[in-house]
Amino acid sequence: MSQTVKQGASPAAGHGTSHGMRPRHPVAGTLAVAGYVVMIVPILFVVATAFTAGSTLRFPPEGLSLKWFGEAVAYTPFVEAVVSSLELAVLATGLALLLGVPVTLAIHRGRIPGKGLLEGLFLSPLVVPELVVGLALYQQLMIGLHLDNFTTLLLGHTALLLPYAVRVTGASLALTDPALEEAARGLGASPLRAFVTVTLPMLRPGLISAGLLGFVTSFNNVPLSLLLQTRDFRTLPVTMLDYVQQSYDPMVAAASTLVLAATVVVAVIAERTVGFAKIFGGINR
Amino acid sequence: MTTPAAELVGVSQRFGGFTAVDAIDLQIPRGRLTTLLGPSGCGKTTTLRLLAGYSAPTSGRILIDGDDATRTPPEKRNLGMVFQSYALFPHLTVADNVAYGPKMRGVPAAERRRRADEALDLVGLAHLGDRKPKQLSGGQQQRVALARAIAIRPRLLLLDEPLSNLDARLRVQMRAEIRRIQSETGLTVVLVTHDQDEALELSDEMVLMRAGKIVQSGAPRDVFPAPADRFVAEFLGYENFLTLADGRQAAVRPEHLRIVSADAPAGEAVAFDAVVRDVAYRGVDLLVTLEATDPGGHAVRLLADHRADTATGPTPSAGDRVRLLAPEARLALLEPDPTPTEGIS
Amino acid sequence: MRARSSLLLLLLPGLAFLLVGFLLPAVAMLFAPPGVTFPQVLERLGAMLTDPYDLGIIWRTVRIGLIVTALCVVLGFPIASLLARSQSRWAGVLLALAIFPLLLSNVVRTFGWLVVLGSNGVIGQLLTGLGIVEEAPQLLYTELAIVLGLTQLFLPLAVITCYSAVAQVDPGLDEAARGLGASRTRAFWSILVPLSLPGIVVAATLVFAGSVTAYTTPYLLGGSSQRMLSTQLFSYASVTVDWAAASATAIVMTVLVFLVSGISTLVGRKGATS
Repeated sequence: MSQTVKQGASPAAGHGTSHGMRPRHPVAGTLAVAGYVVMIVPILFVVATAFTAGSTLRFPPEGLSLKWFGEAVAYTPFVEAVVSSLELAVLATGLALLLGVPVTLAIHRGRIPGKGLLEGLFLSPLVVPELVVGLALYQQLMIGLHLDNFTTLLLGHTALLLPYAVRVTGASLALTDPALEEAARGLGASPLRAFVTVTLPMLRPGLISAGLLGFVTSFNNVPLSLLLQTRDFRTLPVTMLDYVQQSYDPMVAAASTLVLAATVVVAVIAERTVGFAKIFGGINR
Repeated sequence: MTTPAAELVGVSQRFGGFTAVDAIDLQIPRGRLTTLLGPSGCGKTTTLRLLAGYSAPTSGRILIDGDDATRTPPEKRNLGMVFQSYALFPHLTVADNVAYGPKMRGVPAAERRRRADEALDLVGLAHLGDRKPKQLSGGQQQRVALARAIAIRPRLLLLDEPLSNLDARLRVQMRAEIRRIQSETGLTVVLVTHDQDEALELSDEMVLMRAGKIVQSGAPRDVFPAPADRFVAEFLGYENFLTLADGRQAAVRPEHLRIVSADAPAGEAVAFDAVVRDVAYRGVDLLVTLEATDPGGHAVRLLADHRADTATGPTPSAGDRVRLLAPEARLALLEPDPTPTEGIS
Repeated sequence: MRARSSLLLLLLPGLAFLLVGFLLPAVAMLFAPPGVTFPQVLERLGAMLTDPYDLGIIWRTVRIGLIVTALCVVLGFPIASLLARSQSRWAGVLLALAIFPLLLSNVVRTFGWLVVLGSNGVIGQLLTGLGIVEEAPQLLYTELAIVLGLTQLFLPLAVITCYSAVAQVDPGLDEAARGLGASRTRAFWSILVPLSLPGIVVAATLVFAGSVTAYTTPYLLGGSSQRMLSTQLFSYASVTVDWAAASATAIVMTVLVFLVSGISTLVGRKGATS
C-alpha cells in the first residue's frame, strides 16, 4: 500500500493523456476545495491570532506583536507540560518499539499457529475507544493498584503504540526477502548476528515510521491521558485544553503556533527519511 | 570411492500433513556437479534446504564429509548457498556482500577484501565491487551471489534454481560460466532446477525427483536414453508413447520418428501406418502431427520432426497416408507407471 | 524445541505489557469498577437506555457521527480521486498538505474553530462588519461547531484511506470506460466508485469510530450544552465520580464502535465475495 501511495504521488506515474490538474468535474473540484478549506483554514487563523498585540482572541488581530509567544514560553505549566509530554512520548515510543519489534519478528518469521489472531490481539488497542481505556487504567491501576500516574500513563501509552510498532514494522518486514536472513546464516552469521547485520537495516524505514508516528501519537494524545493527570505530572495537550477552558487569551494561540512549528519540523524529518506519505501508508491498510 | 561430500540417509520432511521429502537416500559425489531435477513441488528445493540446514528433517540423517550434521545450524555447516532470489544484501556494496561470510568468520579486514576481490575476479566482476546490488543487472547480481557463496570457501556450493530469473540468452551463457567455475575451483556443486536441458548440460550426476522421492539418477548420458518410466520420459522431452506388440511401453522422441512412404520397407525399425493431420513449418524442420494405430493396437497421436535435408521420403502434407519408422535403438523401454504410494528409490 | 521457546521469548514481554497496560484493566473495568458491582453497572446501563436525557446524548453522538462520516466521505473522496489521478507535481504537495494535519495536535486544530466561530471570531466579525446582522450569531457551542470541528479532524484520515483505494484502481479502466462511450461522470460512478468502495467503507468506519469517541472537539466546541458520550463519560468519571454511570457510558461507546466495525467488516466481506 505504501508503494501505491508513492506511485500516485510521483508526478511521473500514471497513465494516459496529459490531464494535468485540469478539474475533472466542477462538482468534484468544488467539494475538494471545500475540503481543503475545512482542513487547513482554521489552522491558519490560529497562527494569525498568535501574533496579535491585543489581549483577546479576535480577528482581525489588533496590531502585530510577539508578546504572546514570550508569555507562552514563560508560562511554567506549559513549559513543565512540554517536558513531561516529551519524556512520556520518548519513553513510550522506545518501549513500544523494543517490545513490538520482537513481536513482529515472531509473527512474520516464526511458524506459529493462530498468527492472525495474535496480530489482532496486538492491534486491539486501536479498536477500543481511548477514553474508555483511559477510564479503565484510571480505575484499575491508579485507584485500584495505587500506581502513580506517570507509570500508568507510560503503560497506557506503550500499549496504545504497540499496534503502530507491530503493524508498521511488520509492513517493512513483509517487504523483506526472508532469504536475506537465511543467506546471512549460511554465510556464517548466528541468528542474533544475522538480525543485527541484515534484518535490522532492512527494518530501518519501518522503525523510523513507527517511531515518528508513535512519538506524535503519544505527544498529542488527549483521550487516553485525560483521566490520568495529576498536579505533578501533566501532559501538554491536556494542559492546553484546560487553559483554553479557563481563559480566553491569545497565549494558547501562540503555544499552538509553536506546537505547529515543531510538527512541521517532524514532518520535514519524516519526508527526508522515509517519505511523508509512506509513513501513513502502513497504518490503515 | 572416497566418502561422499554429503549424504542423505532415509531423510523425510513433513509439513503438517504434507510430505515434501519422503525417505530419500542420496549421495553427493565429491568434486562433481549434481543436479536435483523435477517439476515444482517434487521436493528438490526442500532437499537442498535440508542439506543447507534451513530446516531440520522430520526423520533421517544428513552427513557432510561423513560427519552427522542433521542438527547443525546453517552458520556452522560452511556450505555456500545461492538463492533463487539471489538474496543479496541491498544495504551493502557488492564487495561487502562478498566479504560478509569471511567477516562472520573473523577474517581480518585486509584479508577479507583480498578474498572478496579474488571471488569477484573469478566471476568477472572485480570492477563492480563498490556498486550496490540494485545498480547491477540480473546476470551480474547472479554472479555476485555466486562470488559471495564461493568466498567462504564452502565444502559444497548449493544453487537453488540459479538461472530461472535470467532471460534465455543469459541463461545459456551462465550455464557455461557455472561449469567453468566448478572445474576451476573443483568444488562439489548441488544445483536445483526444473529445466531438463540445464540439468543435461551441467550435470555430472542428475537426480530426478517426483512427489518427494527420487525416481531415477545417474549420469545424463545414461539417464537420457533410458528414462525409467513415463514420468521421467515426459520430463526429458519424449513426446511419443507407444505400446509395442508384446505389450511393453516405449517412448520415442519426435526427431527419431521417420516418415516414409506407405510402401517403404521397415528394416531394423518398428513400423506402423499413420495419417498426417497437421504440418507446421519451423524453419529447420517440419513438425508433423500424425494419427496412427500403434503395434499394440491403440490409437495414438504422434509428433515427428521431418527434416527436408536429411529425410528420404516425400514431404508430408495433411491427409497423407504414410508409414512411420521408429528405429529399435531409439525406443526407450519404460517400466510400468508406479502407483503413487510406492517408490522406486 | 528450541525455536518454540525463542519465539515465546520474543512474544512474552510485549504480551505482558499489552495485558497490564490494556487488556486486564479494560476487562476489570467492566466487571469491577471501584466499589460497584457488575449488576449495578448493568442496572445503570438499563436506566441510561430509557432515560430521555441520556438517550438524547446517545442519539446526538450517533447523529453527529453519521453527519461527520457523510461529510468526510463526500469531501474526502473527490480530493483522493483528484490527487490519485493527477500527474501534476502539485498533487504531491496537496497530498502532503492533506496528510500533515494527522501529525498535528487535535487541540491545536480544534482551537482554530474557536478563532473562527467565537463571538469575536472571523465569521462573527465578518457578518457584523458587513452589516448583514447586528449581533454575531451564536455559532460556538452548537452541534454545527462540533460537526465542523470533527470534519476537520477526520477528513485527512478519509482522504488518505480513499487515496490508497483509488490508487489501486487501474487508470486504464477509466480510459476503457471512456473509450466505450461513458462520460467522465458516468465513468466515475460506474467504475471508480464501485471499485474503491471497500476503501470508502474502511474510511467511513474509521471516521465514524473516531467521531463518536472524540473528546477534544465536543469539549471545546460543544461545551456543556452539547454533551456527547465522551464528554459525558469524563464528567461521570472525574466530576460526579459515578463509577457505575462511567462504566455504563463506556460500554455504550464501545458497543457503538464495535457494532459499526462489525457491520463494516460484514459489508466488506460481502463486497469481496460478490
